[in-house]
Amino acid sequence: MTDCSALQEALVELQAFLGEGRATDSAIHRMAYSRDWSPRPKEMIDLPDIVAVPQSTDDVVRIVEVALRHHLPVVPFAGGTGMGGSVVAWKGGILVETKGMNRVLEVDPANMSVTAQAGITLWELNEKLAPYGLWLPHQPESKRACTIGASIGCDNDSTFGVRYGKIMDCLTDVVVVTGRGEAIRFGHRKASFSSTGYNLMDLFVAAEGTLGVVTEATLRVVTLPKTRLVRGWVFRTLVDAARALERTLASGLSVESAHINCRRRLHFYTHSFRQKYGRDPDVPEWAESILFLSFAGDEEVVDFSLGKARQILEGEFGGELVREQEMVEGYWDSKHRLDFVPFKQKWPDSQRQKKFGAADVGVPMGHLEEMYRAFLEIAAKYGQDILGMTVYNETPNKVSPSISFAVFTDDSTQEAVADFYRYVREMSLKAVELEGTMSTYIGDGDRLGGFSEREHGRSYQYMKELKALFDPDNIMNPGKKFESRWIKD
Amino acid sequence: MENHEALQPFVDDIYTCNRTRCGFCREECPVYRVKRLETYSSRGRMLAARGLLEGVLEPSGELQEVMDDCLMCGYCQARCALHNLDIFSAVREELRAAGYVSPKHEKTAAKILEEGTLFDRPAPIHRQGTTPLYLGCAYQNKPHEVDKIVSVLGKVGIDALISDEVCCSYIVGAVGLEKEFGQAQERFRQIYGPHLAGSILTVCPTCTATLRDEYGLPVQHALVAVAQRLEGMNLVRVSRKVTYHDPCHLGRMLGVTEEPRRILRALGMELVEMEHHGTFSTCCGGGGGVLDVDRTLAVEVSKNRVRDAVAVGVDTIVTACPTCQPTLLRGSGRVANELGVFVDVLDLWQLLDEALAPCQNDPSDRNFRRR
Repeated sequence: MTDCSALQEALVELQAFLGEGRATDSAIHRMAYSRDWSPRPKEMIDLPDIVAVPQSTDDVVRIVEVALRHHLPVVPFAGGTGMGGSVVAWKGGILVETKGMNRVLEVDPANMSVTAQAGITLWELNEKLAPYGLWLPHQPESKRACTIGASIGCDNDSTFGVRYGKIMDCLTDVVVVTGRGEAIRFGHRKASFSSTGYNLMDLFVAAEGTLGVVTEATLRVVTLPKTRLVRGWVFRTLVDAARALERTLASGLSVESAHINCRRRLHFYTHSFRQKYGRDPDVPEWAESILFLSFAGDEEVVDFSLGKARQILEGEFGGELVREQEMVEGYWDSKHRLDFVPFKQKWPDSQRQKKFGAADVGVPMGHLEEMYRAFLEIAAKYGQDILGMTVYNETPNKVSPSISFAVFTDDSTQEAVADFYRYVREMSLKAVELEGTMSTYIGDGDRLGGFSEREHGRSYQYMKELKALFDPDNIMNPGKKFESRWIKD
Repeated sequence: MENHEALQPFVDDIYTCNRTRCGFCREECPVYRVKRLETYSSRGRMLAARGLLEGVLEPSGELQEVMDDCLMCGYCQARCALHNLDIFSAVREELRAAGYVSPKHEKTAAKILEEGTLFDRPAPIHRQGTTPLYLGCAYQNKPHEVDKIVSVLGKVGIDALISDEVCCSYIVGAVGLEKEFGQAQERFRQIYGPHLAGSILTVCPTCTATLRDEYGLPVQHALVAVAQRLEGMNLVRVSRKVTYHDPCHLGRMLGVTEEPRRILRALGMELVEMEHHGTFSTCCGGGGGVLDVDRTLAVEVSKNRVRDAVAVGVDTIVTACPTCQPTLLRGSGRVANELGVFVDVLDLWQLLDEALAPCQNDPSDRNFRRR
């Protein structure tokens, strides 16, 4: 329980430098920050005590100083689209609305670099880069709402990971306000890497704000491609799709995006097609998986790439090109363009009855089939409606599964939600058993902290000591990384 | 759960938004662009609605102020599949039932109900003709602009009939004064009754959307009628680089996005699109009654819209709405020093009138009668 007088004093101190409009304990504003996209009982509400909107690194330093003085949690909030509860202030405290820091500080085309405040959305940043012929290729599906800081904080997936990697592969420098209330620059300025000292910058990727608040980032950007082409191929097994992708990459082709979907997930796209066009798409009954690839660059290279890919995928692995290109375009609308029919955006209607949720485990490609079989069993065991599996590939030029085992879950009661987290728990254990990880793009959030010691073993203790180094008073996003509300031993 | 009657039809929508959290509605919401607090975005307002339903939030003056700071422009709804605007009106209705309503909005409603008009008119405009043209309060207050509109219509062969009319009362419904909105509709039907059987031309985007969607009337925006008749007309072409600002009700709600652009191209204009345009255009700042209750916010929104134009390298905005034009001009004046350029805001009807060859008839229209 937070001390009320401490809160009142903290609020007065915050308002003194932020102004009343940017520091508030009004229930209305706190309510607007009461949840993210993680499954939770629909009546659950987590109110922070204070909402503060900084506009600069200095503002954040002063906010952390206030928090330290009054022993209050500091919870950074960004896009609010996370699936693991990372930004939920379930221990109260000062919620830091980072989207007030949304300026581009420098576009440096000569060095293919951009420096921005961490609260800018990926979408807006790319709009600012487009006139220079540049873009940041880290592109999660939440990019309309997701910020640079959020991408760093939860290390989310990117549609184009198989060519450009994730945010870590773009990041060259960050400014972080640590739990000590110090603004520190970590990284290697605009150089792509450094072998001096320790790579402390990397610690902030997937740290979920538990070490500090990221306020600025410098990112390596790339040239906008002239042409892009997206196609889909169906295969008789999941393994065929994965091996076909590996062979395609080994051939020397540069693939821009590569997503493998299971049969059930394929049916999600055939269903969307049926709804839009009023007929079934022409997809063979034997299809057990679908591989979507995109190629981008100069037109002749893209054309050649498609030809060569067809040779490999169809000639060597028995894949069949999806003839219904409209279905492929529908998939691409969901993944990248986000170009939905006005007034009929698909997300809300898909979640009227049940809520989307996922176990985001990662396993090496050789265990894909076994993990998939386990998914079907475990999801059924806990009464989850199976949506299907999508394998994102997030390391440049490698089959590198970051997997969404997606379900529709019942969030009408506490017990039903508990079943979802039992499903996540068992999936996580299975992934570790298969030489993998519990989470690839969501993060610990308020679900895996503590439990993830089973994955990390003795290194978990080093993590705790690192946490104490950056945040000795344990004020930075407490209740995450080392504690869970949902999954216990 | 508290019994908030007006919100009951939307409970499913409210929880669906809460559990979806896609945030597609947020960044380009014109109010959020200014405030930078989630509370002012659609998904933040949806959480406030949930707070009311569950008793976490009580009706209050503060909540009323937050809800009043919505332009009702519909951007969020176009990015969504829920009934966002109806929900915001329902929240306002709940707040009003609990005694929290802006005195300005109540005064407006009272004026509309008593006098049938939003503004004090210099003189009601009437004109003999054959095709009913409903002007709406804003144009009734702008006789000079009405001259232009009638002149354009005449030049394309439409003989406008302007008769007694009362306010469509959009603002009464939008701010949650549902009962009064019902009364106002009844009054409208009585006064405008003689013309309700046939089709009606309209010029105000907001009136057009209200009469179509709330009254179920077969209205057509006059620009659509003009665009249909422009082909083969003798036009004086103007070489000028402009951008077109889609009024929210005309573009997003009524889907009239292509006709104004076709007209501008026919006039020889070089049309440069702003980042937010067409269905996903952004509000000028004059929507939803915000001008009445939070002028500072309205001006900030209008300044952002003017910045949008400057960002694509133009210094002239053309629009077709009696609210958008003055609101944007106000923003333009405020932001001129910052931008180092004054962005002019022109009315499409005026451009059309100048470009269309004069009628063969006497230019002084004898069918007008002003009292």
